[in-house]
Amino acid sequence: MTDRDSAGHPARRHLLRMGGGALALALAGCTGSGAADAGGSGGKGDPRKGRITVWSWQGPAAELKALLPKFNKEFPDIQVTVEDIGNPAIWDKITAGLAAGGQGLADVLHIGVDYLPGYVERFPGGLADLAPLGATAHKDAFAAGLWQTVCPDGKRVDALPWEANSAGFYYRADLFEKAGVDVGALQTWDETVEAGKRLKARTGAHLLGIDKPASQPDAANFFQLLLQLQGAFYFDLEGRITLDSPEAVRAMTLIKTMNDAGLVSDLAGGWNALMSSLKRGTAAVLPWPTWFGGIIQEQVPAEAGKWKVRLPPAVRRGGPTAATVNSTHLAVAGSSTQQAAAWTFVEFALTRPASQVGIYRGKGIAPALLKAYDDPVFHEPSAFFSGQRKGEIFLSALKAPSPAVNYTGDYARALKLVTDAQSQVLLKGADPAKVLGEAARELARQTGRKAAR
Amino acid sequence: MTQVAAPAAGPAPAAAAPRPAVPRRRRRGRAAPYLFVLPALLLFAAFKLYPIGWSFLLSLHRTVGGAETFVGADNYLRLAEDPLLWTALRNTLVILVVQVPLMLALATGLAVALDSTLLRGRPVFRLGFFLPMVTGLVAYGIVFSVLLNKDYGLVNWVFGRFGADPVPWLTDPMWARISLGLALTWHYTGYNAVILLARLQTVPRELYDAVAVDGGGALSAFRHVTLPGLRPALLLTTVLSTIGTLQLFDEPYVLTGGGPDNATLTIGVYLYQNAFTYFDFGYASAIAYALTVLVGLLGLIQFRLLGEKP
Repeated sequence: MTDRDSAGHPARRHLLRMGGGALALALAGCTGSGAADAGGSGGKGDPRKGRITVWSWQGPAAELKALLPKFNKEFPDIQVTVEDIGNPAIWDKITAGLAAGGQGLADVLHIGVDYLPGYVERFPGGLADLAPLGATAHKDAFAAGLWQTVCPDGKRVDALPWEANSAGFYYRADLFEKAGVDVGALQTWDETVEAGKRLKARTGAHLLGIDKPASQPDAANFFQLLLQLQGAFYFDLEGRITLDSPEAVRAMTLIKTMNDAGLVSDLAGGWNALMSSLKRGTAAVLPWPTWFGGIIQEQVPAEAGKWKVRLPPAVRRGGPTAATVNSTHLAVAGSSTQQAAAWTFVEFALTRPASQVGIYRGKGIAPALLKAYDDPVFHEPSAFFSGQRKGEIFLSALKAPSPAVNYTGDYARALKLVTDAQSQVLLKGADPAKVLGEAARELARQTGRKAAR
Repeated sequence: MTQVAAPAAGPAPAAAAPRPAVPRRRRRGRAAPYLFVLPALLLFAAFKLYPIGWSFLLSLHRTVGGAETFVGADNYLRLAEDPLLWTALRNTLVILVVQVPLMLALATGLAVALDSTLLRGRPVFRLGFFLPMVTGLVAYGIVFSVLLNKDYGLVNWVFGRFGADPVPWLTDPMWARISLGLALTWHYTGYNAVILLARLQTVPRELYDAVAVDGGGALSAFRHVTLPGLRPALLLTTVLSTIGTLQLFDEPYVLTGGGPDNATLTIGVYLYQNAFTYFDFGYASAIAYALTVLVGLLGLIQFRLLGEKP
């Protein structure tokens, strides 16, 4: 990439980036540290010396801070400052920094899979290429599908995987028992819907909850899970739109069937409503990923022994029950003048089993690093989950074949259209095929992407 | 100024002749105003003109494969076909047509009350009604979102004491619009009332006396003296409220995020989403320019309708 054209004038892209920066500055303000020019080639600075800043949020930030004493024992000359920017504030802050040509960005950035492709696509060079720093050596160390997420072209490495969350099916075993349902025997979601009807009749509890008016973007989490269990997503690997695929229509139809049968409680209001529902026991199933087990344990400690966990039923009989539904990553800013030292920290945090085991113990963050799972902590029976070996259940999902999910740079736009479509289905009884078809056409119009069919 | 600029009459002075002392002081005098406004001009150029210019350039570009590509008027053509933009425009206009007149009517009533000599402790009331304006936008948005929470909010708790069912203030499309209107009214009514009050205090008391002498009541005085007297201030508050409503961002962003089901999506929130959620700076810039044109047009119409007739 060059920032100057053949005549030596600043290239239009560079000028526009400056313009974007000005817009970002005008709209969002700009902060602090970081170097001036977005580079992205990697290798700047001394790998054993420097002063770096790390941006993360809440729990993960605390766990990165907890790693520092051990890190500094080995690398005493690298001074690390971990900042808890908060989530979702971190996304606006990174976007503003990238739009401003890297101004004010931290050296290490914690980025979710839903944002990573967008940043890479919209801000070329905004994130450093980790391949020259040695990232490729860790290619086979992570759960299936994740390397393709961070290294889509097989050359450039945009980030290193940290957290890998598999789809889970947390359920109130006592309620299902009361309803006379053997949850372990449920093979498909169709069977689960039938079990849900019985559960509702005998216990009054809903099968599960969805944020029906989509007050938060994660209202579509369940829909995405059903898609991924069919090996599908909003886009195919070529980036073509698959929002209205038969798999998507099947997933939305399942949700409509559950809702029409009165099995879906409304979690309007997002996280607070979810926690309230959990405490009140309004829904018997929480189809949330790995990390949610810790939340249940924390919120309803008195319900130890009442909860169990399994992998979700398949959408089609005999189909997959494993899916990596989200992941987070550590990237290095292209503007960082301390890329080598930043990489040293990223490598220390993400590729050493000891670091990941410590983080798992602290906050239950499930690592993408497969070797970390050799530690006994992942194989201990859980008193809260009726003596189940929860870690092993999710490890089996991580090891299962899991197709890479192509979020693309237009994921946020697709998600908005999907949550709108889902709201229409849940609140107004709209036809799934029709609303998804409209959403797909609108996405094509807005993004210029082609439909897969 | 002519006396400063006019050259001395008569033949040109010899090259060796000493320069008169006065012009230097005059030159310095001429430069001084420019020097004083220079910092403001520089800041204005850096933080207003420059972004305005660049955002126009951005509005003619689109990111394709990581590179900014010139697309001419494409982003502007997209505007017409974008259903979400029309939803945002409709929501914004609903607020403009419903909330703004209600708020200004309330502000007018409030101004008259605060001006009344019958009211004791007027300064305290004036301060009380103006205070919401001083409250940080995000802070009050968060307070309202807590107050209006369906399950834990104080408002529903109070309603519950009277046996009412919890109202889905922020999670039902219709109630979310009402909640947004309530928050806006709470925040801006006092501000508008203070502007109207300032104008009201310039209305000559003799006019009220004249109405009384003619046998007119309070209503007549309000209709024939207060309202005409308030006309310029009403125009100002209407135009300011219109501009503010068209640019509305903070309240819907903090309270509802534009939802539920896009019921409170405003042009400001949609612009923000395009820039900072979808990273589509070109389209966001086109929305910003369309919004500017809309603000200009509505302002013009209001001046035509409410302004002084020649």
